[in-house]
Amino acid sequence: MSATQEYRKPLPNVDYDIKPFWDAVRKHQFKLFRCKECGAWYWPVACCRNHANRPFYGNMEWADASGRGKVFAFNIHRVAFDPAFEDDIPYVYALIELEEGPIIGSNVIGIGADEVKVGMPVEVVYEDITEAYTLPKFKPIN
Amino acid sequence: MGEDFKNKFAIVGMGILTGRRPDVSIRSLQVEAVRLAMEDAGLQRQDIDGAVELPMYAGSSDRPRPTDAFPRVMGLPVKFFYSVGRGGAMASMGVITATKFLELGIAKNVALVHAATDWADAQKAKERTKGHRGMGGRIEKAGYWGKPFGDLRAVSHHSFFAARHMHEYGTTSRDFGAIAVSQRKWAQMNPQAQMYGRPMTIEDHQNSPILVEPYHLFDLCQVSDGAVAFILTTAERAKDRPKPPVYVKGVGFGEAMEKLWWEKKNYTHLAVESAKAQAFSQAGIELKDIDLAQLYDCFTGEVLFQLEDYGWCPKGEGGAFAEAGHIAPGGDVPVNTSGGLLSAYHYGDLTGLSEAMLQLRGEAGERQVKDARLCLVSGHGGEILSPGMCSIHSTLILGR
Repeated sequence: MSATQEYRKPLPNVDYDIKPFWDAVRKHQFKLFRCKECGAWYWPVACCRNHANRPFYGNMEWADASGRGKVFAFNIHRVAFDPAFEDDIPYVYALIELEEGPIIGSNVIGIGADEVKVGMPVEVVYEDITEAYTLPKFKPIN
Repeated sequence: MGEDFKNKFAIVGMGILTGRRPDVSIRSLQVEAVRLAMEDAGLQRQDIDGAVELPMYAGSSDRPRPTDAFPRVMGLPVKFFYSVGRGGAMASMGVITATKFLELGIAKNVALVHAATDWADAQKAKERTKGHRGMGGRIEKAGYWGKPFGDLRAVSHHSFFAARHMHEYGTTSRDFGAIAVSQRKWAQMNPQAQMYGRPMTIEDHQNSPILVEPYHLFDLCQVSDGAVAFILTTAERAKDRPKPPVYVKGVGFGEAMEKLWWEKKNYTHLAVESAKAQAFSQAGIELKDIDLAQLYDCFTGEVLFQLEDYGWCPKGEGGAFAEAGHIAPGGDVPVNTSGGLLSAYHYGDLTGLSEAMLQLRGEAGERQVKDARLCLVSGHGGEILSPGMCSIHSTLILGR
């Protein structure tokens, strides 16, 4: 993106809890929240439910994840509610059920909107949108 | 509180303001709706000694804060005032709040009010963005996730609930359409409804523009200006009021985060189970005792889910149930008899509460449900950071 061309779409709201996720995505790495004790995966941030009364956040870490999953549900935006998205119409906003278990919301790209199917295997791709931000999106695995 | 909660408290007055109000503040709407509710209850200023504001997002936004609250503007001698509400579940939380103050004897009559300038705000946003109804900010709201990916409006994340239900149960767009058509029929008997005088067929629904597939325009609710206020008091005091009291029979709450979210079922189910169990147990009733229901209907899908989750029909059969006419005028389970959020006006679950009041008092005119004695009002909403988790569900049972 050239310095003169302003990025017009909304930017992520990065709070302290989710900053490690966005920092990793910036480096084109896909991390999820994992329990140090039993390896259970979470996204967004959650304290592992498998152990009673452990030091909640203390038991968790951000760990490298596969970045692969399947389309769980999706919709197709056929109108732009914001002019910045006009060129993307129609676009797919989907729930991706990751191999590790958690569900994340993102776009499915690299395929026609009408060809997306529930259950379709997808993997993460990275879109560097500004100097500071990268978005994790998903494309079908061939 | 259990069984002994039933019939201890009653709503004795209700005020509703509808229509487009492009140049009125939230505060002024609250003032006028509360005045109407007081008039309806036959109460004066000095009688209202407690007040609760019911915004969709209590404690946030630029809505009036307690330093400039409607009770001060009205000169009500209140002993407490604050805000409760979580998404569209506001009336239920207001009832819980007010009844405790009444039980403790801190207040004798509590005024509760929700007001909206959403239609007026949308027109201003349209001007600002040259026709787009979108987006004020350039940064995602705290606590939300999807805006950078184009999850811009409520329909962006509610439509994949519908999509998932279609995938799991074979539900079709026509099934959702049957709900929209049914509620539009009710709205034709409500002169205050925004869609009054604008009947709709299933073909109209199917031909309406697809905004976010699978949702057509007519799967979406109205955007409204206006307000609903009500006055809650003890059953004992309610006897002295001019109109017949409408009793609180039971109130219950559930959250998707309790169980459904972890089971990945929050995309096809609402957190009805807990809310229903609590409210029905307090009221000492079963589903068949409900004469009519005002089900939270921000989109058609939420109604379909609730028809199944409350048990009016088996899971996955909500579409067929609606198509068979059960919830339409003349059906055995009248649902959203004002036209609801879909076809009348959007004041969260106060839309349902206002309609319950009219129906239970026999004031619903042409759309009056015969022998309406027990009405269910549900609420729904909450944050959506966790994908698709509009967490809260509330069940309020009102009756004669």
